[in-house]
Amino acid sequence: MSTITALIALLFFPGGLVILLAGMAYEWADRKLVARFQNRIGPRWFQPLADNLKLLAKEEVIPQGVHRGLFVALPVIALSGALTAVLYVPVFGLAPSFSFAGDLIVTIYLLSLLTMCTGLAGANTLNRFSLVGATRTLTQMFSYEAPFLLALLGPALAAGSWQISEIAAYAEDHWLVLAQPIGFIVALIGLMGKLELPPFDAPEAETEIVAGPLTEYSGRGLALFHLGKGVELIVGLTLVSALYLGGVANPIAFFVKTLLLLVVLAGLQSLLARLRIDQTVGLWWRYGAILGLVQFLVLIAWEGLVA
Amino acid sequence: MKLMTMWRDALHGLTKKPVTQRYPFVRQEAPDQLRGHLVWNRETCTGCGLCAKDCPAEAIEVITLDKKAKRFVFRYHVDRCTFCAQCVESCRQNCISMLSDRWELAAVDKEAFLVHYGDEADVQAALAGEPDSGAPAAE
Amino acid sequence: MATEKFIIPIGPQHPALKEPGHFEFDVDGEVVTAASVRLGYVHRGIEKGAETRNFVQAEYLVERICGICSHVHATAFCLGVEKLAGVEAPPRAQAIRQIVAELERIHSHMLWIGVAAHEAGFDTLFMYSWRDRETVMNLLEGITGNRVNYSANVLGGVKCDIGPEQIDAILAGLEFLEERTRHYLDVVSNDALFLRRTRGIGVMTRDEAERLGVVGPTARASGVPRDIRIDAPYLLYKEFPVELIVEEAGDLEARFKVRVRELFESYRVIRALLANLPEGDLTTRIPRRIKPAETISRIEAPRGELFYFIKSNGTDMAERVKVRTPTLPNMASVVVTAVGHQLADMPMILAGIDPCFSCNDRMTVVRRNGERQSWTWEQLRQYGIEWYR
Repeated sequence: MSTITALIALLFFPGGLVILLAGMAYEWADRKLVARFQNRIGPRWFQPLADNLKLLAKEEVIPQGVHRGLFVALPVIALSGALTAVLYVPVFGLAPSFSFAGDLIVTIYLLSLLTMCTGLAGANTLNRFSLVGATRTLTQMFSYEAPFLLALLGPALAAGSWQISEIAAYAEDHWLVLAQPIGFIVALIGLMGKLELPPFDAPEAETEIVAGPLTEYSGRGLALFHLGKGVELIVGLTLVSALYLGGVANPIAFFVKTLLLLVVLAGLQSLLARLRIDQTVGLWWRYGAILGLVQFLVLIAWEGLVA
Repeated sequence: MKLMTMWRDALHGLTKKPVTQRYPFVRQEAPDQLRGHLVWNRETCTGCGLCAKDCPAEAIEVITLDKKAKRFVFRYHVDRCTFCAQCVESCRQNCISMLSDRWELAAVDKEAFLVHYGDEADVQAALAGEPDSGAPAAE
Repeated sequence: MATEKFIIPIGPQHPALKEPGHFEFDVDGEVVTAASVRLGYVHRGIEKGAETRNFVQAEYLVERICGICSHVHATAFCLGVEKLAGVEAPPRAQAIRQIVAELERIHSHMLWIGVAAHEAGFDTLFMYSWRDRETVMNLLEGITGNRVNYSANVLGGVKCDIGPEQIDAILAGLEFLEERTRHYLDVVSNDALFLRRTRGIGVMTRDEAERLGVVGPTARASGVPRDIRIDAPYLLYKEFPVELIVEEAGDLEARFKVRVRELFESYRVIRALLANLPEGDLTTRIPRRIKPAETISRIEAPRGELFYFIKSNGTDMAERVKVRTPTLPNMASVVVTAVGHQLADMPMILAGIDPCFSCNDRMTVVRRNGERQSWTWEQLRQYGIEWYR
């Protein structure tokens, strides 16, 4: 790819500006759906945009006792991790901008980068709430990461490749949600864990630890974290749809599938109460890991039988 | 043990209209009993002052210009009023009532919150007797 | 080597609290090892204020001690003053007072269900229970004229009447609410994820409950059979009684169940009252000046036993009004039940007692240079006298 096209992909489309706006749009859709499930109106379409613009315009207060460089750098690293992950997944139904063998692992790692930055940001401050929130974020990450990875490896195994574009191409012909239903469920719930959506929002439990690891953040830092979360939402949805719901060959399929998945996510968000962190870990390490392993073993056995 | 016991509510929420009232474009109708802004009927007032005495917020002052001729001015501080309707109860002549349709009482200046009831001339006389009040008369 | 304690403060400003109060939890990881509470943030000097106002004005002052349970404060005060004056409100007034009190109990319990669900992260239950609570608020507005701080009481009776169309509205509203309450009982008892947050959490045995002196639904959830409406009936609770709702488990789930089941009792009592509303006046004459006497007045507020001590001295102003609200004894139970639980359970345990901090603050703790002094009323009064000298 020439430098100009690479830069455009990175800064405007499909990375950069467009994906930031799309992230906000998806965040709005999620909030609107949850509101409708709760029989209320919900925010207007420009609400996340207004929130982020407001946050960018506000003063950033750096609390005492933090490592200044880390405090300012972590939101930037988190957002860049999410934005880089965009380049490898087929967002908007278009082929990924950069694609190479093994980019599935890289994408998952980049998404975890965002979670780790959030955890580090919490551990950086002296605020007790942030420390508790940071501990919870990292604990939760350790718990769902393994089953989530296993669930995403299932399609990789079936397609015989570690490259997302090849898996997506394979998935177009084979709807893996039917072939690997357990894997799909684990992937979906794992996505909720990664995005810290209820019932797995213990790291960000508003009624217990104020805002979790991001308690001390305000202004630009908070805006970047929020934008990062929006982008993570799209990347996660795209990944699960591409791998399980029969690939995202064109923009229409992309929007239909990801929005459908978002409706399911919003429904689960509104119907389930928040789990305590120890219950989350218990759930994942007992049921999540077992289900993931079961699915994986079934796949290996199948491959062994068929091959 | 059931999972997701509120799924029917969620489905209902998705299909029916949201219950949020889009105020100020949609206003709920106030019942007749709503205790809104006070009005004073000077025809029957005897100037006993029980309303002012019993008001828990000291929102009422009855200024007597001439007791025999029944010239009173009723000064009502809307910003102090708690809308408890004790004055309505205390008044033996039923001079006071509360409007059920006047409940949007926000204003941008303090003048709207000092209301004088009474004959126009009486009110001017009462205000003239107090050099520091510059509030306009009403009704 | 000194071990540093990791203290998590909840309050005075915290999303878990609807009103300011200060709780300090010593945590080890996620497990709470010790807890302490400090109150006094909403101390407004109401008891002092009641001494400089006549009885009529004081009733509205005490009504505003709390927004959620305002009617029971006014009722307790009015019943006390009526007892002092030796008059009794006419039966119709008592019936209307009881109807408004039970409607208030409904609104308070629905509010609590929503808030406790919100503390657990179950926002959908919060939104729906508060949506249904609007029905009760509108009914109360139709009867009394205001959604909060109903001011239905006057000394000697009530000032609002219930006419036939209001009766129809109430019955229709109750029918809707009863159906929704059945659904909430189902959710609270059977929702798998919600039970994981409430079953076996914050357990208080019956002995502990009696030792700590907790009152109200918190006590009844631990098996303590105490309800002022049954033990010392006031208003028309002798003719239209409520049944005692008791649960044995003593955990958060039991507290939910007790409050939801109490809602059914309230619906039943209101329907019985509306069907047999006595005719008659709404008020009776009560003298302005009350002869010197003392009396106590006990009422079952939505949160427990509300206790008033009123002393008159022959003038039209009270000599002393002492209020002991139900949240005060229940607060001690938080500190005891919190130890050993996870930090994540703290907001729910706190919400489990249905705290009403506004009702609460009677004592001021003075903290100067790290020392903590606790002042009695006499000391505070002396300090005030000397300050103004």
